[in-house]
Amino acid sequence: MAFVAGVASAQAAPEYTLVIRDHLFDPAELVIPSDTRVKLVVHNQDATPEEFESYELNREKVILGGRKATIYIGPLSPGTYPFFGEFNPRTAQGKVIVE
Amino acid sequence: MLINSVVLVLREILEAAILVTALMGLARIVGLGLTWFYAAAAASLVGVIGLAAVLGPVTDMLDGTGQEVIGAALQYGVYLLVLLVILDTRQRVCGRRHSRFTGWLMAAAVALAVTREGAEIQLYIGGFMSVVEYRQAVLLGSALGAGIGISAGILFYWTLVTRPRRWAYPLCLFCLCLLATGMIMQGTLLLEQAGWVQAGEPVWNSSGIVSEQSIAGELLYAVFGYEATPGPLLIALYGLGLALSLMASIYAIRSRAGGGDD
Repeated sequence: MAFVAGVASAQAAPEYTLVIRDHLFDPAELVIPSDTRVKLVVHNQDATPEEFESYELNREKVILGGRKATIYIGPLSPGTYPFFGEFNPRTAQGKVIVE
Repeated sequence: MLINSVVLVLREILEAAILVTALMGLARIVGLGLTWFYAAAAASLVGVIGLAAVLGPVTDMLDGTGQEVIGAALQYGVYLLVLLVILDTRQRVCGRRHSRFTGWLMAAAVALAVTREGAEIQLYIGGFMSVVEYRQAVLLGSALGAGIGISAGILFYWTLVTRPRRWAYPLCLFCLCLLATGMIMQGTLLLEQAGWVQAGEPVWNSSGIVSEQSIAGELLYAVFGYEATPGPLLIALYGLGLALSLMASIYAIRSRAGGGDD
């Protein structure tokens, strides 16, 4: 049941786009609704790979240079959930703000 | 960049190194030897290079979630193979605790465990080789991280194999149960990330006690897939996976000469 429910809600998830450029996330702050599963499309426009990582969101994914990748997050309670690029943690930082 | 490289490579290496050395420890304890490790090393090399080479197309599969689904399959595969390894170390009529399949099962488990982590390291190092200002720091940091991770694995190996004979086998199986069940945890998180399952609201939050970002948290994650905010699905699958592997271990430990054959 969890599997079926997961796939069904994932298909209907609202979509948000995050760009990695010059080892920075754009936008650095992403506002999403609470209690809603969202589809995050991360487009790495740099030539080098990056790993989207967030301890708070329980997410990690390598995104090759010049490619897009999909990451589902949520449903989440209101709050702030930081994320960073593990390959460039000093510069690639951002947060998901759940309202 | 030097410290980043050390931390990143150490994290990836540690997960695989602990599992690999636990299997090597078990092989030594049951008198199998380590000849199977040559096959494991060769298969791991092929797996790492192969996965890194096709990661782009793999990522694009299944609406951009192919990487997670392949990763979860590798993690569940490791669990299943470790379960079979445990069962295969039951004692035979002749007193042996291994069959002609044990080494192959161990080699396959090692290859799957190393493939995912290794491909990530290869992409990281390969990606920064073209950036001249980072190249030296990335190579040095990666070497240091790999060295520390492999050293931790070697320490774990000797800790297992130098226990008194009576305790070494059950201790090794117990460690493998925890390590393999951690793979279930990680695999399920990947399926959740791909939108295939919903783990549900966190049942507890233990990040105040052990943060996932701390050294202890990283170590616990490597050993048994520590998750500070697990949902009900994760807890249920972890419990089921641990129970199954412990039952298999008890069966293997209690088997006596005359209790089964190849």
